[in-house]
Amino acid sequence: MRRVLLVALVALAFPAAASAHATLRSTTPRFGHEIRQSPRTIRLDFDQHVKVLPGGVQVLNGAGKDFALPARAVGTDVVAGVKPLKLGAYTVRWRAISADSHVVSGVWTFGLRVPAPPVANAYGAGGPTKAEHLVRWLWFLGLALAIGALGFRVICLRGQVVPLALQRKLVVAAGLGVVVALQAGIAAFSLRSEDALQLPLGDFLYGDLSPMAATRFGHAFVVMTLGFAFVLALLYLSWLLDRSDLLVPAFALSLIFVGGLSWSGHDAVDAGSSWKTAIADWVHLAAASLWIGGLATMAGLLWFGAPELRRVAFTNFSKLATILIALVLAAGTYLSIVRLPHLHDLWTQGYGQVLLVKIGLVCFALLWGAFHKFVVLPALDRADTGFLTRIGRSLIGESLVGVAVLLVAAVLVDSKPPVQSSDQQSTQRGAAATLAP
Amino acid sequence: MLPHAEMVHWGFAAGILLVGLCLLAEAIVGQEVWRMRPWRRYLWPGIAFGMGVLLWPVMAFFTNSSIHMYAHGSWAEVLMLAGGAELGLVHGRLRSRWWRLTWPLAFAVTGIAFIVHEQNPWFFARSAFLHHLLGWTFLLGALVPLALAFRPRSAVLQASFALVIVTVSVMLFSDRDVAPVFGHLSPLAGPQHR
Repeated sequence: MRRVLLVALVALAFPAAASAHATLRSTTPRFGHEIRQSPRTIRLDFDQHVKVLPGGVQVLNGAGKDFALPARAVGTDVVAGVKPLKLGAYTVRWRAISADSHVVSGVWTFGLRVPAPPVANAYGAGGPTKAEHLVRWLWFLGLALAIGALGFRVICLRGQVVPLALQRKLVVAAGLGVVVALQAGIAAFSLRSEDALQLPLGDFLYGDLSPMAATRFGHAFVVMTLGFAFVLALLYLSWLLDRSDLLVPAFALSLIFVGGLSWSGHDAVDAGSSWKTAIADWVHLAAASLWIGGLATMAGLLWFGAPELRRVAFTNFSKLATILIALVLAAGTYLSIVRLPHLHDLWTQGYGQVLLVKIGLVCFALLWGAFHKFVVLPALDRADTGFLTRIGRSLIGESLVGVAVLLVAAVLVDSKPPVQSSDQQSTQRGAAATLAP
Repeated sequence: MLPHAEMVHWGFAAGILLVGLCLLAEAIVGQEVWRMRPWRRYLWPGIAFGMGVLLWPVMAFFTNSSIHMYAHGSWAEVLMLAGGAELGLVHGRLRSRWWRLTWPLAFAVTGIAFIVHEQNPWFFARSAFLHHLLGWTFLLGALVPLALAFRPRSAVLQASFALVIVTVSVMLFSDRDVAPVFGHLSPLAGPQHR
């Protein structure tokens, strides 16, 4: 024991040399910047001395050609000369050894007289994988559950005497959705970063994610994480104190923060995008989340949990769903026209083919919904228990189709829309649309 | 724009110290006396839950390595879970005492995260040493709230729980190499690190 105490005191009094692994403080050229003249050197400024590895700095063009000369350490900087660069987009990949012997690494992009591509499109990045589709799907599911459960309580059950047990279940379901959305957001950010960094897992754990955090996707990740963490706290307080009024701000904030995905997706960043496409995407996503999540909430929690509220909830949800479907269709049609200006793009382009599958599933869900609205709703007043139970199963079925729609939507979001003619011009101007091989 | 890392560490250390002192006071005067004023029962669980919420910005803004992001994210989640469970218990929303097992879970997750995210050996630097020490303190200290879940009225265990938390806060205060606590870096130590 005395030995342990002695070691502890000595270590506290006389800290050993140096410190934890090196952190990159700044770079020249800076992350994601468009520069006017070919840089003579690439400079990485660390917070401590590092050792330079052979080939530790690479400056790669879109074809993967390396323009970097051997790097050297200058104080806490690493400096590498660069051969004259032509107009275009470039990826810098770096690796160095910290004083603690651990390898630290990272990547960033810059453009020479063209806009720098997002770091997710750095040279060597392979693009979204099946794992990323799955994570995106979970993200959508979590958001739909959170927004749907909250919206269903706030809108469809407004003014109703909701049993306490159902009220708490709705809050727990929304909380579960937020937790899933938070985890999926972290996983999505990690997968996107891992693809850009192109490192084995061991090195990736100590990889610098700052350039990814500086992208629109990174900003969306930060804002959505903070926003939904706050929503989670509100939901918890609502559950703890039985305060249903806290669900209103939680619902409003969820609707706002789900826009992070639209703000960082194709409809906000690709060529041809505008504030109108970003807003349309947000409306599309928010309305679809509320529709599918609300339906699943009604089928899974209310139908068998509070039978006395079935009729009023079904009637109210039917009215809400009509508005939501109109919004989903209007925004979706507008976005499809922007992304695919030619009808034949639907079957000739990969993006169009995925969109066709999504449209097919949405049509199926709409037919099912129409059956509920035009056949079930008028018969609801004279329905017996057996009929209502069967309707409950039918609602679950429609919800599952909605879940399938979200899966296809996840694949669609991760797919690249076809390059349009105006984009091609800008691509030729800067070859900056993508650096992925 | 972002505060220095040591500032963030000191802020959370202050919060943890407050939790530890409240627990210590509760252990000394007894639960009945401590809870004579209704707001006091919510004090330390509320601070713990609030710190869990505040750890999310730390996770989201400090992305200079993946492992740090995951470590801070895991601390945010377990602190919200354990603080939230304790709030539920004192408010009467939760009844089962087994919800107190969220504390040993939180300690264990926190300890593992400390040890895993510190890639340097014990005697590499003060921060490395304290990260390892914090990790093992949390891991071994998890036994105290674990025992407390089975013996909730034990004054010794209550005091031990409080002291573990106070100890952790002191370590966190002195965790950064630039912290003017327990002396400064020696001239041989090289550049200071946040």
